[in-house]
Amino acid sequence: MAAIVADRLSKTFSTRVRPAGRLSALRSFLRPENRDVEAVKGVSFEVGEGEVVAFLGPNGAGKSTTIKMLMGILRPSGGSASVLGLDPVRDRLELSRCVGAVFGQKSQLWFHLPPSDSFRLLGAIYEIDDDDRKWREAELIERFGLAPFWDVPVRKLSLGERIRCEIAASLLPAPLVLFLDEPTIGLDVVAKREIRQLLADAARIDDTTVFMTSHDMGDIEKVCKRAIIIHHGEVVVDETMKDLRHRALSKKYVGVRYASPVNLDLPSLSPVKRTAVAASYEVDTREHSLAEVVRALAAKGELEDITVEDEPLENVIAGIYSARTGAEAQAFGTGLPGAGRAAPEALGA
Amino acid sequence: MRSGSLRTYSIAASTSMRERLAYPGNFAGSMFTYALFVFIFSRVWAGAYAGATEIAGYTMRMAVWYFIIAEIPSFGFGRFFWTLSRDMKSGQVAYLLARPYDFVSYNYAEKLGGSLAEAGVILAEGIAVGLLLVGLPPAAAPGAAGLASALSEAGRLGFLVVSLLLAGTLNYFLQAALAMTAFWPEENEAFFWIFQKLTLVVGTLIPIEFLPRWAARLAVWTPFPYLSYAPARIAVAFSLPEALSLVARQSLWIFAAVFLARAVFSFGSRRLSVNGG
Repeated sequence: MAAIVADRLSKTFSTRVRPAGRLSALRSFLRPENRDVEAVKGVSFEVGEGEVVAFLGPNGAGKSTTIKMLMGILRPSGGSASVLGLDPVRDRLELSRCVGAVFGQKSQLWFHLPPSDSFRLLGAIYEIDDDDRKWREAELIERFGLAPFWDVPVRKLSLGERIRCEIAASLLPAPLVLFLDEPTIGLDVVAKREIRQLLADAARIDDTTVFMTSHDMGDIEKVCKRAIIIHHGEVVVDETMKDLRHRALSKKYVGVRYASPVNLDLPSLSPVKRTAVAASYEVDTREHSLAEVVRALAAKGELEDITVEDEPLENVIAGIYSARTGAEAQAFGTGLPGAGRAAPEALGA
Repeated sequence: MRSGSLRTYSIAASTSMRERLAYPGNFAGSMFTYALFVFIFSRVWAGAYAGATEIAGYTMRMAVWYFIIAEIPSFGFGRFFWTLSRDMKSGQVAYLLARPYDFVSYNYAEKLGGSLAEAGVILAEGIAVGLLLVGLPPAAAPGAAGLASALSEAGRLGFLVVSLLLAGTLNYFLQAALAMTAFWPEENEAFFWIFQKLTLVVGTLIPIEFLPRWAARLAVWTPFPYLSYAPARIAVAFSLPEALSLVARQSLWIFAAVFLARAVFSFGSRRLSVNGG
């Protein structure tokens, strides 16, 4: 059964347009003019129970608006949504008992009080009886390592500690679906790694369906199994992380360092960076055989070092984000028309 | 489907109160301003009462104590509009809505809980300042002695506390209704500005008996006297029938304000438009 279903879901906001020129404020007051902005344009997708899905898109793509519609906070302008078989708007209260949410830029913890007080209140809000709450708290304190700051006011916690508390708090009522909106924003590398591991564990241990937005590729690669990319209010990519990574496999970065200076140019491939003895090449494997490139470079002189790296996933996502149309975004990195990458060609030695 | 229990709301109120009490220094600004206002008004009344023992049935001591009590709701319960407006304009309200509770009831419990801490501190300060400036307030039952006097004083105290709580509740629901108009025009501060000024004029700065007779007659049909006049009147001119009448009228206005706030929320929340993350 699908945990989340969006069927041609759309949201249009009406915003006030201020006319230009003199007395614009007065004219706007007397004759207000509104403009409709389509934040989400008929997105459709399904997320299965227990799936961990990244919901991606550039700023303003409609990610948060979609999450708010799925949580019943916003009424869709068109289409329909279903979460755990419930209508998010009609059954908002019932749904709110089964879903958790973490918004990296908002807090559900009381700033001047220790996390223990916020957990007690959340327990009351979700009507968890005291014994169950204490048992669940003990488990979350252990799993998230909250014991050292359980009784310290939230204002005195580091951002990493606070986010650990936020995620643990969202798991207190054992939600079936967890919405995460940029959960690692602002965290350092170590804290991010910890949070990603905790999220992956939470999804695995509790079998929670996780629907996560993030601009951090590390979050997506470490935690999610599938990516839905939304752009200009439309779903442009919906595929497994494995397939998404395949888009990156067609491009390799080859780095070489020679014992002495050599001619670093190849007949149809120039280095993207070079010094007298070292260079790096961006190789599209559909245009050039990687083996031929390596052979050609090895034949140039005495090699001290050679490295071959995949294109970072971030570049693929950036390419999809920078596409001007949905079709262009869908085609990016696939070799399909509009992808901007030609068929392989031989590399002359 | 149940939406929050009394236990939920009482824990929300107590958590909010503890959050406010975590920093007693937070009250310093209000306490200083309140003491300054009381002192200035006591001097104003000293001038007004020069050569007069009574104005509209109030002695100078009654007028000073009236002001001390009437200002407590302004200082203790005067910021509901701003806190709720801030939540709405920042988009925080969207996240508060995604919880299994009745939003209006929960918000009332949370906001009132926090404000009771401040109102309690201001009340204690007001009693101390009043005793220093003009001595004890007029007796609840002049001429009574012994048990009768003690019962009257206890009755007045009980009605005063109830009336202050009702004033806080009425303040919350009226201010919440005004704040939630931000579901339509976001800039709704003008409504609150008018509300604040009417509250000040009708029963806070001066008792409504000081107003022209036609204005006083009109005022009792508005909610404003029940925000500050009711508890202050009970404190300085206690009589059981009048106290019962004032508390009953406060309760009626609360019913109307709850209905209004719920209606505004019900229609407004459908229009919620929180764009962006």
